[in-house]
Amino acid sequence: MPVLAVENLSVGMTGRSGGLVPVLENLSFTLDKGKTIALVGESGCGKSMTALAIMGLLAEGFVVTGGRILLDGEDLLTARPKRLRSLRGDAMSMVFQEPMTALNPLYTVGDQIAEVLYYHRRLSRKDAAEQAVEFLKAVQIPAAAQRAKAYPHQMSGGMRQRVMIAMALACKPKLLIADEPTTALDVTVQAQIFDLLAKLQDETETAIVLITHDLGAVAELADDIAVLYAGRCIETGPAKELAASPRHPYTSGLLGCVPHLTVGVAKPAQWHDLGEIPGMVPSLGQRGPDCAFLARCANATDVCRSRPQPPLGAIAPGHTVSCWRAQEIAA
Amino acid sequence: MSTLESPLAVAESENAKSAAGPSRSASVAELPVAKAVSPTRAALRQFGKSPSGVAGAILLVLLVAATIFGPFIYHVDPLEIVGMPFAPPDADALLGTDYLGRDVLSGLIHGGRATLTVGAVAALITIVIGVSVGALAGFFGGWMDSLLVKITEFFQVLPPLLFAMVLVTLFGAKLSTITLAIGVVSWPSAARLTRAEFMRLRDLDFIKASRAAGAGSWHLILRVALPNALPPIIVSATLAIGVAILFEGGLSFLGLGDPNTMSWGLMIGQNRNYVLDAWWAVTFPGAAIFLAVLAVSLVGDGINDAVNPRLRRR
Repeated sequence: MPVLAVENLSVGMTGRSGGLVPVLENLSFTLDKGKTIALVGESGCGKSMTALAIMGLLAEGFVVTGGRILLDGEDLLTARPKRLRSLRGDAMSMVFQEPMTALNPLYTVGDQIAEVLYYHRRLSRKDAAEQAVEFLKAVQIPAAAQRAKAYPHQMSGGMRQRVMIAMALACKPKLLIADEPTTALDVTVQAQIFDLLAKLQDETETAIVLITHDLGAVAELADDIAVLYAGRCIETGPAKELAASPRHPYTSGLLGCVPHLTVGVAKPAQWHDLGEIPGMVPSLGQRGPDCAFLARCANATDVCRSRPQPPLGAIAPGHTVSCWRAQEIAA
Repeated sequence: MSTLESPLAVAESENAKSAAGPSRSASVAELPVAKAVSPTRAALRQFGKSPSGVAGAILLVLLVAATIFGPFIYHVDPLEIVGMPFAPPDADALLGTDYLGRDVLSGLIHGGRATLTVGAVAALITIVIGVSVGALAGFFGGWMDSLLVKITEFFQVLPPLLFAMVLVTLFGAKLSTITLAIGVVSWPSAARLTRAEFMRLRDLDFIKASRAAGAGSWHLILRVALPNALPPIIVSATLAIGVAILFEGGLSFLGLGDPNTMSWGLMIGQNRNYVLDAWWAVTFPGAAIFLAVLAVSLVGDGINDAVNPRLRRR
């Protein structure tokens, strides 16, 4: 049984007129123990919305309109609030994008990690504090015992993100959702954080939902990739295959947007190999039944314009894509 | 809060650590680490650097000490007639006597107990009601917010002094009633302040992170949001003491003081008709109120400067 199964999840936003505007449509994926799935896509594609829906932390005005989210077979959407609270931070936890603000400024980092253990594991305050130091060591923070007594403002961004990871993994969750965990960090630290996540995943067998813009990291860390566009999943597949042979024009467009630097060469007058996807993601409420990427797609033909967006169709084992011209583009 | 500390306390570079690798972690562990200073302690330290705040604190401590220990040194009953009415300050009555021949100094000492207690307790009531209402409204939003804001506004549009007078008249001029009345009429501003703080905090990342770690609403309100909202609340609580003292003075001046308990307001209220014959009977309690309100205001400003270093006047 997969650790996490998201089945036909749809999320809507209550509009001003009272109607529901779809934000996330019919999203499905499964995630096995110790595996990583990456959700990629532009801002506003519904990646974070997916994460919040899984955690049961959708903001006011957003409602799940359909589907199921199964954590170890337990449907989170029908779970009682009390049960959800005990699952959060214990069976599933989340690392946020902005480590500078995701820690409470008034408590020491050791206390904040210990708090999670105290509540979920019912450890004594003293044991929880000792464990917290162990976790700080596990996320490779030097002088962990002293560092546990430090306040968040005394730490750098990378350090704080390590603390966040320690806090998220303190109860050995089955599922970790990392919502752009490295976006706010500088490049060298990003690599360290990804390495750390991979290492800890090996040790704890935690399943990770990785939400990221960093396609380089995706290829390294993720087993599977789901590409979201305008609230719809448009391509899924094993990370390596999807990165090597993207079938959806949007996926290849995204991959084309990654700059490839050549060491020793100054910035070229013009980026020849740096792609661009013209236009913008259609805004909420502007999404019709036809392909959401239609307006921006260089490969669109009359075939695409005449029909609604196709469902995800298998194109290779485990590799599905939602494009009328997937076969032709692959060729 | 994070601005209280020098940014120099930031840990050493991430790169140095990764270069060292796990095999050299022993030597890394000996790196000097900046000593952690709790935000509360940092704020106290900052408060100590504010001359006016410290002066206010000293003045306040002196006033409180005088009212606590005064009766043990100066054995005169404040309600007992000890001499001729309007006796000027002399060796018998150090600060003179009032219109009934009662000792003014004794009145100041005992009255201070009542006045300062009323101030502190009324401020406490103000803050407890205000913070509860504001926290619930700001944190939950929605219909709870609409309802609580409506109630707050209802209390806010009533003229506070008039409202307090009505309450005291209705329920009798006892010190407890007066205290309660002051608290009940002055909480709306604390509620609005707390609501604004909670609305700001509600959407901050660390609240979301706590929620994602399994915290329930009560835990979030009491242990996560409230401590972060405290600095402005403490400041307003301090200032509320001053307002409550003035309020008590005002009510007593208007004849609504508790005649059986000596207080500074009562002294002024009862002697105000004779201010030209016996200036001391009104001036000394007036000065006492002035000093007390000044002291708490200075302390409040000092705390404000300590918790909001960015707003400090330069």
